[in-house]
Amino acid sequence: MAAARLTVPEHIDVERTTLVYIAPDAATNGLDPPGSHLLALLQDGPLSVYECAAHLGLPYCVVRLLVAGLVGGGTLLTRNPPVATSLPDIEILELVLSGLRAL
Amino acid sequence: MASALSDSRVSAEHIPVKLVIAGPFGVGKTTIVSALSEIKPLNTEEVLTQAGTLVDDLTGVSDKTTTTTAIDFGRLTLPGAVLYLFGAPGQTRFQVLWDELVRGALGVLVLADTRRIDESFAVLDLVENAGIRYAVAVNHFPDSPDYPLESVRKALDLDPRTPLMVCDARDPASARASLIALVEHVRELVLS
Ligand SMILES: Nc1nc2c(ncn2[C@@H]2O[C@H](COP(=O)(O)OP(=O)(O)OP(=O)(O)O)[C@@H](O)[C@H]2O)c(=O)[nH]1
Ligand SMILES: [Mg+2]
Repeated sequence: MAAARLTVPEHIDVERTTLVYIAPDAATNGLDPPGSHLLALLQDGPLSVYECAAHLGLPYCVVRLLVAGLVGGGTLLTRNPPVATSLPDIEILELVLSGLRAL
Repeated sequence: MASALSDSRVSAEHIPVKLVIAGPFGVGKTTIVSALSEIKPLNTEEVLTQAGTLVDDLTGVSDKTTTTTAIDFGRLTLPGAVLYLFGAPGQTRFQVLWDELVRGALGVLVLADTRRIDESFAVLDLVENAGIRYAVAVNHFPDSPDYPLESVRKALDLDPRTPLMVCDARDPASARASLIALVEHVRELVLS
C-alpha cells in the first residue's frame, strides 16, 4: 500500500483544505509513483489536499500523509486556512463578502 | 466540465476558507454545492470506524469495522480567497468527522426541509455543540408546506439573530445569497 512506504512526520499540519504547491527549487525526480503522480497533478498550480486525493483516486488519509512526507522533504509547500481561533479575521470576512457580492 | 489537469488553479496567494453546508438526508446538499462550485463537485468518501472515529491510516482496517459517508466538495475562487465548500451529512454518529470539518471553518449553512423539520434537530445539535456560527436556509420543494419563516424559527428554536431564509438550492444566485447572509452574520458577530 502506498502509505506503508511513507515516513510519517511527528506533527502533521495538513488538512483537507490545505493548499499544496511545488516548491520552486524542488528536486522532483526519484519519487515513488504516488509522489510523482501528485507532482504531475500540481505542475499546473496549487490544489487543496482534498482535490489532490480525488484526482489521484486515493483516500484523503493517504494523500494527507503523502503530502506531509513531501513537505518534510522540501518538495512541496503548503498554505493552511487561518488557524481556528475563536473568531474569524475581519479582513478575510470582508474579502469573502465583497467577492461573493461581486459574482 | 474541464478535466482535472486543465482545471483552473488558484494561486498560492489565495487564502483557503472553509465553509460547511449541512443538512439531513435528501435536503439538497449535493445540489447546492453543485450550484456554487466552479469545479465539478468531488464526491468523496470518508472512512469511519463503526464507533464513529475517523480512520487516519489504513493499517488494520477491515471492511467489517468501517463505514463510509459521502461528502460533497466544491470550490469557489474569489479575488484573494478560495472558498472550499463541504456538503456534509448531519447525523450525530458522524461527530468526529464533523469536528474536523468545522475546525477553522468560517461558518455552517444549515439546510432545512420543512416537510421534515424534525430531521434538522440533529444538525442543529451538531453545530451548537461545535460552537460554530451558522445560518439556516430552508430549501423549498414543490410540495413543501408554506409555513411563515417565523413559525419555522419557532419550530427550530432559533435565536432571533440567527439568519433564516428560503433558498432554492438549484439556483446559484439564491445559493450565493444564502452564503452572503451567513458571512454577514459572522461579520456582525465579530464586530459586536
Ligand atoms: N424542487 C426542488 N428540488 C430540489 C431542490 N434542491 C434539491 N432538489 C432535489 O432534491 C433531491 C435531493 O437533493 P440532493 O442535493 O441530492 O440532496 P442531498 O442532501 O445531497 O441528499 P443526500 O446526499 O442523499 O443526503 C434531488 O433530486 C434534487 O434535484 C430545490 O431547491 N427544489
Ligand atoms: Mg448528496
